[in-house]
Amino acid sequence: MPTPESPTVLRVHDLRLTPAAPLINTTITEGEIVGLAGLDGQGQERFLEVLCGLDAPVSGRIEFITAGGSTIEIKNFHGAVKAGVAYLPRNRKTQGILPSLSVLDNFSVATLDRGGRLGLINKGAQRRRLDHYRDMLQMVFSAPSARITSLSGGNQQKVLLARWLAAEPRLLLLNDPTRGVDLPTRLKLYDVFRQVVSAHKTTLVILSTEIEELLQLCGRVLVFRDQTVFTTVTADQLRHAAIIAGIFGRHDEH
Amino acid sequence: MSTKPSFIGRFSGTFGTATFAALFFIVLLTINILLNPARFSPSALGVTIGLAAPLILAALASTPVVLTGGGGIDLSVGPFMGLVNVIVVQYLFMNAGISSPLLIIPAVILIGLLSGLINGFLASVVRIQPIVATLGTYLVYTGITLWLMPAPAGDVPDWIGAFARGASIVPILAVYAIWLGLRRLPLYDHLMALGGDERAAYTSGIPVTTVRILAYMLTGVFAAIAGVSLSALLGSADPTVGPEFTLNAVAAIALGGVSLAGGKGGLIGATLGALDIFLLQSILTYFNVSTFILQIAFGVILVIAVILNATPVQNALRRVGRSSHG
Repeated sequence: MPTPESPTVLRVHDLRLTPAAPLINTTITEGEIVGLAGLDGQGQERFLEVLCGLDAPVSGRIEFITAGGSTIEIKNFHGAVKAGVAYLPRNRKTQGILPSLSVLDNFSVATLDRGGRLGLINKGAQRRRLDHYRDMLQMVFSAPSARITSLSGGNQQKVLLARWLAAEPRLLLLNDPTRGVDLPTRLKLYDVFRQVVSAHKTTLVILSTEIEELLQLCGRVLVFRDQTVFTTVTADQLRHAAIIAGIFGRHDEH
Repeated sequence: MSTKPSFIGRFSGTFGTATFAALFFIVLLTINILLNPARFSPSALGVTIGLAAPLILAALASTPVVLTGGGGIDLSVGPFMGLVNVIVVQYLFMNAGISSPLLIIPAVILIGLLSGLINGFLASVVRIQPIVATLGTYLVYTGITLWLMPAPAGDVPDWIGAFARGASIVPILAVYAIWLGLRRLPLYDHLMALGGDERAAYTSGIPVTTVRILAYMLTGVFAAIAGVSLSALLGSADPTVGPEFTLNAVAAIALGGVSLAGGKGGLIGATLGALDIFLLQSILTYFNVSTFILQIAFGVILVIAVILNATPVQNALRRVGRSSHG
């Protein structure tokens, strides 16, 4: 949970997703779990992709404050990843898995430079890291060398999540992370999300189509409508009705 | 069903997409040894490998960029080998009198890196389709080579000459050593990931443009080594022989199961593919078959090999391999 002294992680300045849309301004502090809600295509997905440099806004600026305290502007995805941002895409088939590679290679592709000396890859360390997340996320696969495409959809999703958790990002952006995942696994993932926030001071931004999920996890929800933040539902008003009202464009105070 | 895989199953497990090339290699080698035992005797092996080495190296050179997928290909490999041949023989050795490998090898590698940088820049920064960009450099290198040296001439230093005899395996081993070294760096995994799916590779945080340029530079270095091996085989400089290696190398890697769509295959497949072409050539030449027939045979075998390497056929073969044992 963030405290008033928690440092800022991300500043969104006068962001415009389309030429006509109202500006978006918000600040995200360390240890927050921020939710993004809205009907499909209301701008929340683009907003998430803009935050990590995968998409460019019409105007405005995204500032990311690194763990070391320096401020960098997010302009492209590679730069964002280097600075400590991670993004788990919704469409794992086209944006996530590397279909011709093994589970281990898929897992370690974002962290190849960790744990090695002189820039060399340390396969042993990679395997140990994978074992750690295999237990943590209860992943099911026959061997680290198994082809990623031989896994079930839910397990592919877990490998992708593990890939980014292993990178120990300062800001983790999740695009509908539990879509099509069964209930026990879903609850398991919620635990994991809370755990990374408390253990590593990671900050989460979660886009979800499940309002329940946002209520369970988030301290604050940005509700998108017409390519902008229509309303922000803060912790004290976080109820199903408040989010629904925002989604359908009503300013419901009750 | 038995848990022990059949011979075919185990064989295809070891060679993957290069299974066809490996089986074909065994058949062709057997025929060659029966027809021409002298040429394939241990004492003649150095010279025989020396004959095959430039094609093998051209195929190895073509592999890294093809593995990155996205239409990655380097057509300039052949003409570049010719250019290196002329530069080494005519300019470094004959004109400047430089014969030391300590000078020639770094110079050749530097030229290779530079050529790769140019191709990589055109293909991934300027974003010209790789086949067009490298067709451009293909023509430029062909032109420069003939302009520098219109007719064959010259001589090679002794150490290069050895690459056509006893030490003919050395340049090939050098390429393998570089590749094995790279497997320990993130670059290799990045390269294979990129070939698997460019979009997914990008959203995995891989610096796609940099990796692609580095793949072209690696191809450039391998092609430069191929140029040295070609110089050894020719024993002189010949400005006309380079370009033909380009298409033979593409044929060799396709035969060796390196997917032109990227992400599948490796140096062993490329080597086997090149050896297959070399051995086939040697059989047909033994029977004095006309070069036209030779071309037709290449074409037919290439198409058959690519069909056999296609995923549906591979899967069917694997099923047959399993059930035949059960």
